[in-house]
Amino acid sequence: MGFRTRQIHAGVTPDPTTGSILTPIYQSTTFVQPSVDEYMSKGFTYSRSGNPTVKALEAKLADLENGIDCACFGTGMGATTAVMLAFLENGSHAVVSDVAYGGTYRLATKVMTRFGIEFTFANAADPDAVAAAVRDNTAMIFTETPANPTLKCADIAAISEIAKKAGAVHVVDNTLLTPYYQQALDLGADVSVHSTTKYMDGHNVTVGGAAISKSQEHADAIRFIQNSTGSIMSPQVAWLTLQGCKTMSIRMDQQSANAMAIAEFLEAHPKVEQVSYPGLKSHPQHDIVKKQATGFGAMVWFEVKGGLTAGKKLMDSIELWTLAENLGSVESLVTHPVTMTHADVEEAERQRVGIIDGLVRLSVGLEDAEDLIEALEKALDAA
Amino acid sequence: MSDFLEFDTLSLHAGQTVDKEFGARAAPIYQTTSYVFPDTDTASSIFNLERGGHAYSRITNPTVGVLEQRIAALEGGSAAVCTASGMAATFVAITAILGQGDHIVASSQMYGGNISLMKNTLPRFGITATFVDPKDIDGFKNAIQDNTRLIYGELIGNPGLDILDLEAIASIGDKHHIPFMVDATFNTPYLCRCFDHGVNITIHSVTKWMGGHGTAIGGVVVDGGNFDWGRTDKYPTITEDYAPFQGINLWEEFGPSAFATRIRAEAMRDIGPSMAPMNAFLLLQGIETLSLRMEKHRTNTEKMLEYLSNHDRVSWVSHPSLPSHSSHELAKKYLPKGAGSIVSFGVKGGREAGKAFIENVELASHLANVGDAKTLIIHPATTTHSRIDADALVAAGITEDMIRLSVGLEDVKDLQADFETGFRAAKKVAGD
Repeated sequence: MGFRTRQIHAGVTPDPTTGSILTPIYQSTTFVQPSVDEYMSKGFTYSRSGNPTVKALEAKLADLENGIDCACFGTGMGATTAVMLAFLENGSHAVVSDVAYGGTYRLATKVMTRFGIEFTFANAADPDAVAAAVRDNTAMIFTETPANPTLKCADIAAISEIAKKAGAVHVVDNTLLTPYYQQALDLGADVSVHSTTKYMDGHNVTVGGAAISKSQEHADAIRFIQNSTGSIMSPQVAWLTLQGCKTMSIRMDQQSANAMAIAEFLEAHPKVEQVSYPGLKSHPQHDIVKKQATGFGAMVWFEVKGGLTAGKKLMDSIELWTLAENLGSVESLVTHPVTMTHADVEEAERQRVGIIDGLVRLSVGLEDAEDLIEALEKALDAA
Repeated sequence: MSDFLEFDTLSLHAGQTVDKEFGARAAPIYQTTSYVFPDTDTASSIFNLERGGHAYSRITNPTVGVLEQRIAALEGGSAAVCTASGMAATFVAITAILGQGDHIVASSQMYGGNISLMKNTLPRFGITATFVDPKDIDGFKNAIQDNTRLIYGELIGNPGLDILDLEAIASIGDKHHIPFMVDATFNTPYLCRCFDHGVNITIHSVTKWMGGHGTAIGGVVVDGGNFDWGRTDKYPTITEDYAPFQGINLWEEFGPSAFATRIRAEAMRDIGPSMAPMNAFLLLQGIETLSLRMEKHRTNTEKMLEYLSNHDRVSWVSHPSLPSHSSHELAKKYLPKGAGSIVSFGVKGGREAGKAFIENVELASHLANVGDAKTLIIHPATTTHSRIDADALVAAGITEDMIRLSVGLEDVKDLQADFETGFRAAKKVAGD
């Protein structure tokens, strides 16, 4: 069945007791067992270990990304933490794309290193650079593509080959394109992680995360961490995300079309120094994205002529666009990564990987593209 | 659960069977609009009221159903229907049996919304009301007309706190074949099970003590199952064939729950003031601790009454548990476990002093609700009863210096310290 059918129906069957067309919200800590001998016979014991509403979302997401299983978490960082804890240990090494969400960078450099895990941040746009970073003890390659906020993209299949040779797990953070545009597991990754907060929810309602595995072995390792460390998703969040997923494809198509129009507008604007969007021919990895994805997503960044000062002026004065963290939602947001999402990345590292001070990040929403462009035009005129 | 009938047990278990599919201990939240039918015969039998089952959440919902059965069990009624608010409950209960040309005899001391409904809204549809001082039993007798189809009151009147003599009024209703409907919000079934005293229908704003945490708006109508609708031909909506449901006769088919079924079949279908499943879930949580909270409300109220009675900035204190209250004897009869946690008192210095008091307390929240776990205060003359005229204000027992206090569950020492700040500010304004 097609993606649009599955995004609505996968994982959800009418409640057998009442016929309720939607999965009920099982806001229950515990599940009554029929007898000692029949422990677990209905599948659930305690909501940290599993919950029917969360399970419905997990089944849907596993189906959408052609995985064998999905584990949901309280946040996207909960999912990333769980995969790191599942596949890394004292003395092991991971290669992480040199541009990733600031939270992922912080987790690796400030938290995981405390447990004796080493990280190398490599240019994932260049498979040779990734291969060169691999060591004997490399147990994981973690690729975020497109990367937040620079939108640098990586060839998932090529890096999966490198991981396979090294005997390492290849984890792809597929948050920005979702399985609707990019089937990370089919391309060769072992595990994909998501912040469900973004396009899956889509309405700025919940925070949540997911890790989808291709093999039972990897799924079991992640499930074990999910239950042991307890960063679980709540039934209410799962239920709201189940509803959000139903319109994911149509939202993404419209948001991406808006993003394309905005990127083209910015590229032609005299006050714009540079603009980046994977859908533009000028994007350095445009061909890779065209090859491995069916859409370009709704994230754009640009630099105003006049750098940081002009950029700040634009972000402080722009109308309609909201200055806020988060991305992927129906509301268009403007973010200054250097002071907001990526503030914990050291300045030298930011400069090295291209998170320039004047970078203005756009998360394009579902408003009329004309209105979004008009607001940008006004703010650029004033900047 | 039929073997276990005590109040505390019922407040935790009534209406809930363990989820069949997964064994979930808490009632699942059926946040769904509709229900898939196994086949067309089942669908049509659910639609025709031939069998129970769910079709569409405006009419029934499994989570709301747990709350309905739990409240019916706590009240000792035959059935209950939950609604989106307490006012919706009152409206659907009245209009289930009354129509154009019918008449209500009602207490004059009621929540302003109830008075407004009967005085302003229902008359637009040909339903009129006569308001009677709740202490005046002969007044109820004398107000009965040929077209009277309902006697209505609040057990603990708002805001004068006069107690209705339930049995005396019920016998008037019985004599004239008129159902007696009581808004039992202020007492809850914990303090008084009204059906034991001849009441036929109760209404609750479950927003208040039943929910208890100020998190969800909701109402309920409980059918006492103890009114013989067929004794006369006064109640055709219950006893005559109901055309929209293929001529079903509710009185014959549903007997003691015919009234609740009429609300379900007509109001929930055609008017649609349904309770949301999430609200039902939150309210179920509240009911689990109803008796614990009501006990603490009672002891806190007793301590606050003693404090206020002895305070030199307080001109008067009113509560049915005080011997000075005109309803003291009735309170002892109907409310032996406590006469509720609403207290009214006057601040010396009149309107301005009352205002200064309210504006200077911090812990007690100034808002238009009662029955929260948090202590609440309000000035009725300018808020809850502001839409009724001066004469009705006096009839409702409201004075300009009156402060209505809903005693919460805080530590009384903190409440009293907070009130001291208010009284100091009131004293400055009073200037004596």
